[in-house]
Amino acid sequence: MPVSWSAIGTLAAVALGAWAVRRVWWGYPPAPPDAKVLSRREIAFLAAAADATYPSGGPVPPSGSEAGVPSYADRYVAAVPPGTGLLMRLLFFLVEHATLAFPAPGRGGRRRFSSLSPDQRGAVLEAWGTSSWFPRRLVFSSLRAILTMGYFADPVVLRALDLAPRAIETPVVEADLLYPPIGAPRDAIRHRPGDLSPIGGAPVGPGAPLHPAYREPAS
Amino acid sequence: MSAKGQVRVFSDYQRDFVESADVVVVGSGPSGAVVAYELAALGRQVVLLEEGPPFTPDDFELDGAFSMARTMREAGLRTTRGTVIPTMQAIALGGGSLVNSAICVRPPEFVFEGWREHFELRQTGRKELDPHFDAVEAFLGIAPTPDEVQGQRNLLFRDGCDALGIDSEPIARNVKGCRGSGECFTGCRARAKQSMDISYVPAAIRSGAKVLTSVQVQEVRAENGRATGVQGQVVEPFTGRRSHRFRIDARAVVLAAGCMATPVILQKSGNLANRSGQVGQNLQFHPGLAVLGVFPDRVHPGFGATQGYQSLHFLREGFKLETLWAPAAVLAVRFPGFGQDLKRRLADVPYSANWDAIASCHRSLGRVRARRGPSMDPILSWHFHPEDVPTVGRALWEIARIFFAAGARKILPGVHGVAEEMHSLEEAEVLRTRAFKATDFVTASNHAFCSTRMHGDPARGVVDELGRSHDLPNLYVVDTGIFPRCSSVNPMLTAMALAHRSSGVIADQV
Ligand SMILES: Cc1cc2nc3c(=O)[nH]c(=O)nc-3n(C[C@H](O)[C@H](O)[C@H](O)COP(=O)(O)OP(=O)(O)OC[C@H]3O[C@@H](n4cnc5c(N)ncnc54)[C@H](O)[C@@H]3O)c2cc1C
Ligand code: SF4
Repeated sequence: MPVSWSAIGTLAAVALGAWAVRRVWWGYPPAPPDAKVLSRREIAFLAAAADATYPSGGPVPPSGSEAGVPSYADRYVAAVPPGTGLLMRLLFFLVEHATLAFPAPGRGGRRRFSSLSPDQRGAVLEAWGTSSWFPRRLVFSSLRAILTMGYFADPVVLRALDLAPRAIETPVVEADLLYPPIGAPRDAIRHRPGDLSPIGGAPVGPGAPLHPAYREPAS
Repeated sequence: MSAKGQVRVFSDYQRDFVESADVVVVGSGPSGAVVAYELAALGRQVVLLEEGPPFTPDDFELDGAFSMARTMREAGLRTTRGTVIPTMQAIALGGGSLVNSAICVRPPEFVFEGWREHFELRQTGRKELDPHFDAVEAFLGIAPTPDEVQGQRNLLFRDGCDALGIDSEPIARNVKGCRGSGECFTGCRARAKQSMDISYVPAAIRSGAKVLTSVQVQEVRAENGRATGVQGQVVEPFTGRRSHRFRIDARAVVLAAGCMATPVILQKSGNLANRSGQVGQNLQFHPGLAVLGVFPDRVHPGFGATQGYQSLHFLREGFKLETLWAPAAVLAVRFPGFGQDLKRRLADVPYSANWDAIASCHRSLGRVRARRGPSMDPILSWHFHPEDVPTVGRALWEIARIFFAAGARKILPGVHGVAEEMHSLEEAEVLRTRAFKATDFVTASNHAFCSTRMHGDPARGVVDELGRSHDLPNLYVVDTGIFPRCSSVNPMLTAMALAHRSSGVIADQV
């Protein structure tokens, strides 16, 4: 039976569509249950980009995903104004899928970013970061800023770099008798005139105890 | 404490309301807070309106990005169109003073000479303003940063400057009992920083002012050529959701909403006070850029006053140099590369210091425009003038010299097109010789000015040098928008001194 050109065309289009759908949408691991706004695809991309930027080992041991970068980014996107969050998600989509149009070097380079080998991911990020085209560098630096903010929020990373916030006693000043915490009613003001205490004290230095949220958990 | 005045917070608003006062002040940043206090102290009935909430220490976020999302407009991610420059404006009781480094500098006379010469001003020089600088400095206890809280990061800058014969000095700041925690940007847990919310605003309340927080002014009302008050809506902290409407009738209106917000309010008020066509024009910044230096010994960069040392040595050449600290995440963005290479570089963090330059760029201008629809966020545009770009390159070179003179083993200039790391002054020479393009730098600026500039000629400025609108006799603008050109030094103290001067004029009128 002669095969018509239109049937071949349809088959080719279906095959191409299936290939595109598979490359773009399929095969992502499930999102963590506590994800607020990002999809499993975005979380997988962020884990891949975070680990390419901050691999495991070295003087600051945690990798990007061990430092919780994807879930940090998820909370951050939820905290910024919706329009800004949308732009960030477009940024993730762009870098994740740009390699389908502009493949990474080496075999199998025409895959989405999160499916590339670690070396290929590195090569792709390097190309974005050193591009002579300013907007491309800007995309890269925006992505890298989000990953870096997430990495540097991790107490393990901050402790390793001697940057974890220290415990500081907060004195009670006149203003503390005027304002309740944000969103709370006036009767949530906890302090009374008798609570006023002097400001000042010894300089906070490297030997000062860590803020409780940044202390090493007792094993 | 006997508070004669009062403060209202979001949970206090149950319905629409109308109030009246002698003077309504819009914005509680350094400029508005000074006016509110001075007028209340002179016995005028003052209502101070602020869109942001008051932050208590329980409300501070130690993480830099989440802190920005709470304390800054547009989550701290605002940028200009044209030449992209990130710029932040706070949304909080106290405005920028809640998150700034408390740097207070009087501009030298030559800055004011430039203002007077080009903008037909007569009474704006150090001689005329010094009494106002004195008053603000005395009120806030502004004093040079003592060595005990400088930390290595700041003192190394001094050492480098000394070695080269470059003048430097400890930065004078509005702090009392600073502990040198280096976290001014996320809010001072030690309550040492005398931000407006804990200094001028409580004093204004004590003197009888009414302070309404979480209220967004959307329009200045005017009738028969006079301002009659303002109106707007209550807004929920962080979500910005609008609810009850309000109106404040007043005999004088003072706009201190900041240089990126005041023009929007005027534009949304039927293009008020704009016969000159200058509202929203002439926007200027101090483009800033930081260089990271790595030393052989530990610097412990997280400790010490956030910004403790400065050099005004090159001010006439167009730049000021300072030490810098910000949350680790914000500064770490500067480390180049990725992968194991980046990890290796991170090991340098405890040995590193950041120093920055802010440049006076009079030729680089921008605009502030209102958006269509209800949003009060501005559309900003700005263009880095090619003739201003070399100033930044020159500043980088001087920072490199100071780093190497202080004993740095390498620097990371963070500039496109040159080496990521430079290990000697010879390697850094390229910073001096290269013809940079604006896009080679990643600059940022939180110093913004001139969008409602003062000018002696009503056809070329929005207000006169006392902050009075050229068009409406009882409308004043007192924020950094009234600077006729940039201040060449950090603007807060100048804005406060000008606001202090305007207070006397307003008091005479009402
Ligand atoms: C991170 C950072 C660090 C800085 N460090 C320094 C420093 O160390 N030294 C220095 O001199 N300068 C510094 N600056 C700049 C300085 O803080 C500003 O120049 C200064 O705060 C400007 O004061 P202002 O009163 O003109 O405006 P703002 O401080 O911006 O105050 C304006 C207030 O008006 C409110 N507002 C705006 N629109 C409305 C509306 N529609 N209705 C009601 N309220 C409204 C805002 O919420 C804000 O609180 C820094 C700025 C930032 C962001
Ligand atoms: S350095 Fe620390 S203690 Fe000093 S004013 Fe800033 S935040 Fe407060």
